[in-house]
Amino acid sequence: MLRRTWQVAAKDLRVELHAPGRILAMLAFVALAAFLFAMALDRARVEPRAVAGPFLWLVMLFAATAGAGRAFDAEDEDGAFRHLLLAPVPRSALFLGKAGANAVLVVAVAAAAFVAFVLFLGLRMPAWPAAHAGVLLPGAIGLAAASTFFGRMAGHSSLGDALLPVLVFPLLAPIAFFGATATGRLLADRPWPEVAGLARLLWACALGALAAGGLLFRHVVDD
Amino acid sequence: MTLEGRGLACAYGPTRALDGVSFAVADGVLSIFGPNGAGKSTLLRLLAGERRPDAGDVFLDDVALSADRFGWRARMGVAGHRSGLYSKLTVAQNLLFFASLHGRATPRDARTALAAVEAEALADRRAEALSRGQRQLVALARALMRDPELLLLDEPFTGLDATASSVLEAALRERSRQGRVVVLVTHDVVRGTALADRVIVLRRGRVALDRPANQARPDRIVAAMGGHEDAPGGAGGAKAAGRP
Repeated sequence: MLRRTWQVAAKDLRVELHAPGRILAMLAFVALAAFLFAMALDRARVEPRAVAGPFLWLVMLFAATAGAGRAFDAEDEDGAFRHLLLAPVPRSALFLGKAGANAVLVVAVAAAAFVAFVLFLGLRMPAWPAAHAGVLLPGAIGLAAASTFFGRMAGHSSLGDALLPVLVFPLLAPIAFFGATATGRLLADRPWPEVAGLARLLWACALGALAAGGLLFRHVVDD
Repeated sequence: MTLEGRGLACAYGPTRALDGVSFAVADGVLSIFGPNGAGKSTLLRLLAGERRPDAGDVFLDDVALSADRFGWRARMGVAGHRSGLYSKLTVAQNLLFFASLHGRATPRDARTALAAVEAEALADRRAEALSRGQRQLVALARALMRDPELLLLDEPFTGLDATASSVLEAALRERSRQGRVVVLVTHDVVRGTALADRVIVLRRGRVALDRPANQARPDRIVAAMGGHEDAPGGAGGAKAAGRP
């Protein structure tokens, strides 16, 4: 099971390395969004630290949905996904592999978004980056897992990609809320114990999304 | 090795794609013919385990597909209309990835599989750089790579030139000699009959003709596809289905 998961994830990352269009589009989006937020912000009236958390998570939410939701484009291009389904691979391993590869991309985007917001909004670099990582990592995994699952589901519908945000945004709202609150507190130099509960909730959401996706994916892909 | 379908039925809403289809083939090539919409692709999907039949079951050496769908997938190879390759990966990377999903595989295995269809030169080329026929050859190499007990081929000669077609024919005959089962869906009646050990004709979801290949002339197969009641061996529907 773990071996199959790794094989699928490694294949997806290899395809992404050969054609990095998706990750580049996600990175360009977060850089542009951070720049526009920074330009639009009236720093005389609004403290950048106070709004950076929600902005950061909003950008991550859009980037993850747009990017991770397209994880099946390469699969559908020439019917490769059919052959993946015909192989003796547990559907849960298939889902976890694809979600894992997406999580790597979303983590990279989250890190880039964080740096972009720090630079463009003139925030102080955090003294303890690991605390931010402890919040961004589970958030990115949760976003990637949900986007992967619903990306496949939306791809099967007659509405196609237009259905994805409708399906996925309500479910991702708690992750974005917990994440934005936790990041906001860390940027306000609040101590870790005030964030730890939110980080645990983010991990619970991430693991819940992975478990639910792993259990239910066969119902999405099998006839 | 014997592949057997017993009373297979499948419907898409009110449309019956297959209606009580039974057949059997032992150690060889089964060619399936039929006009468009006869149920050939649906039958192939059932044999691949991609769709569950509404009734009936498929058996490979008396092991039912429904009893072990996961194990069934490990025993078969499939090549269809679309090559199913990742265009950004090289041919060797594609083959290695799919083979590794079945167990351990090495780059040498991939090259050996390509050599079997005389396509070693394509190993390091990206799939997106291949012609339609070359992609088809690579897809066949992938299907043959693990020496599957059951090989399902849907119009495998489409896009192949004369040389590649000859290579594929030789590979199928070799598998037949090795006691493997090959199911071949094709519109090419002459070639399909020449390669086959047994032929069946589907018409409107039923078996219209089921014969050993040496007793099924192409003109009779075409007649059965057209639904001519006087087609020898035909017009019997499911009753015509027999065992080898």
